[in-house]
Amino acid sequence: MSAEASRRGQPAAVPGQGVAARPRRPSVPADIRRRRAARRSAGYFFLVALAGATVYPFVWMLLTSVRRRDTVFGASFVPDQVTFGAYGRAWSQLDYLSHFLTSVVVTSLTVAGVLALATLAGYSFAKLDFPGKQVIYVTLLSTLMMPLTALILPLFLQMKALSLLNTRQGLILVYIGLSVPFAMFLMRAFFETLPDELIQAARVDGAGEFRIFWRIMLPLAAPGVATVLVFQFLSTWNEFLLAQTFLQNPEILPLQPHLFGVVRGQHVTDWPLLTAALTMSVLPMVLVYVRMQRRFVAGLTLGAVKY
Amino acid sequence: MSGVIGTARLRPTARVRRWAVGYLFVLPVVLFFAVFVAFPFLRSFYLSLTEWSGFTSPRFVGLRNFESLADDPVFWKALRTTIIYTAVTTVLQTVLPMLLAVFVNVGWRGAVVFRTLLFIPVIISFVVTALLWQLIYDPNFGTLNQLLRAVGLDALVHPWLADPATVIPAIMLVSLWQSLGFFMLIFLAGLQGIDQNLYEAARIDGAGARQEFLRITVPMLRTVTAVVVLLNLINGFNTFDIIYVMTGGGPNRASEVLGTYLYKLAFGTESGATPSFGYATAISMVVFALCVVTAVVQLRISRRARDVG
Repeated sequence: MSAEASRRGQPAAVPGQGVAARPRRPSVPADIRRRRAARRSAGYFFLVALAGATVYPFVWMLLTSVRRRDTVFGASFVPDQVTFGAYGRAWSQLDYLSHFLTSVVVTSLTVAGVLALATLAGYSFAKLDFPGKQVIYVTLLSTLMMPLTALILPLFLQMKALSLLNTRQGLILVYIGLSVPFAMFLMRAFFETLPDELIQAARVDGAGEFRIFWRIMLPLAAPGVATVLVFQFLSTWNEFLLAQTFLQNPEILPLQPHLFGVVRGQHVTDWPLLTAALTMSVLPMVLVYVRMQRRFVAGLTLGAVKY
Repeated sequence: MSGVIGTARLRPTARVRRWAVGYLFVLPVVLFFAVFVAFPFLRSFYLSLTEWSGFTSPRFVGLRNFESLADDPVFWKALRTTIIYTAVTTVLQTVLPMLLAVFVNVGWRGAVVFRTLLFIPVIISFVVTALLWQLIYDPNFGTLNQLLRAVGLDALVHPWLADPATVIPAIMLVSLWQSLGFFMLIFLAGLQGIDQNLYEAARIDGAGARQEFLRITVPMLRTVTAVVVLLNLINGFNTFDIIYVMTGGGPNRASEVLGTYLYKLAFGTESGATPSFGYATAISMVVFALCVVTAVVQLRISRRARDVG
């Protein structure tokens, strides 16, 4: 990614935006240098403050989750006593494990399905030739412009007609159907960067088309696969609206709608329990994000910029 | 397509066989698209012209749903709120991330840490975001009011989500909080694509920082800006999750948007015991129309900008 340069902390691009001190220039008068230093400090202060404001809700969530139940309100910001009791309570009282596992299963199967379909189609659109290719491609991509609020009701009726309502299988199928166009779009962009000569050479050697895709091209597109995987994992894990709408039996809900139901339904006053539950639901995503940050960011920005 | 992959020079049978492979690889996606996107979507055009509670079969009523919409004060209120919300979030979530990207791009030590932190809200689900901020905005025990009390600004202590006047701005702030890092990153990617010679040339001509920003950075970012604006507009018209979780459209419909209204009509308790699918679908047609108009206008403008530039 092109953000590489600034990641290494070099003053890349757009220099001279006022705030930057440019130490390379010789013989800058002392008063100007002092003014630059002052501006620089102000700039740092701004960045730190903004980062602080962004992270504050999470810090607060973590701190609240380790408080004792009776010391939530009116106490100091940092709890005097740290206890992890709320995590145990959330785990047992909210039937956490079963919903957590539902989320894991639904997310994994969706990711697997999306990857299988999107790599095949992305490869086909990037490297194979057939009549009507452009029209089909653009039609599939129109999904990206489709407002979900406009789609949810007819989709609900469709699920009902197919007897998929209230089943996790049905939810997974809908997830795949709605996610695959964007994943296919990303995979096509990745396959397009691979040289055609590889395919030609393999054909000369007598390899079948699927074999060429599976043994030669797909391994080379591994970075693209990883990007789609991370992106799909996060968006499926976080999905709320469709799951909430299509699954009416509260026992089979994934984690996100379950958490919503807990807060809405019972008017929980046990804030440590709530924040502990939220913290636990965020944890897998933070892990994935920290480990595969570059992939994820690449996928998101590529998607947005290439629209 | 390139000559290497193209099928033009193949013998007819071989060519058709090669085509078949292309179709076969695409087929599963097309099937999913047909069942879960195309068919439901096309059907909703018809449903918007019917009256249906989901039990018997839909009854064709022509444009009556749309006529009822015109007389429905809740619909107009929701439409107005949706448009205001969309307009404000689009401006905020385009201008601020752009300025921030330019500011961060200068090369601060620790800029990576900053970007990483700012991006964290992007990976958090709407549910967690909304629940978290609901607690933060809580009138009695919420950390925002506690913070205000702690610094002596008791006058500003406020039931943020319970007051019709502040509920929408409060939700806008959450939206900004969640998307700032994402859009900043898109602008940062765009900044990398600007030819540095432009700045060199401008500096030789004696341009100041502000002129460089207005004359070079902003025009050169117009494609990226167009994308950000489009994403913001479509997200705005589609706003649902955050508001549904945080306020459910309340208090007293002050935060009712088209998304929440149609959802409640279709699935909730809005119209009593019977859901009105036809009427709700008519509203979803309005949402869709807003998105289409936006996309078309956007395309026109960006095409013209490209021609001029």
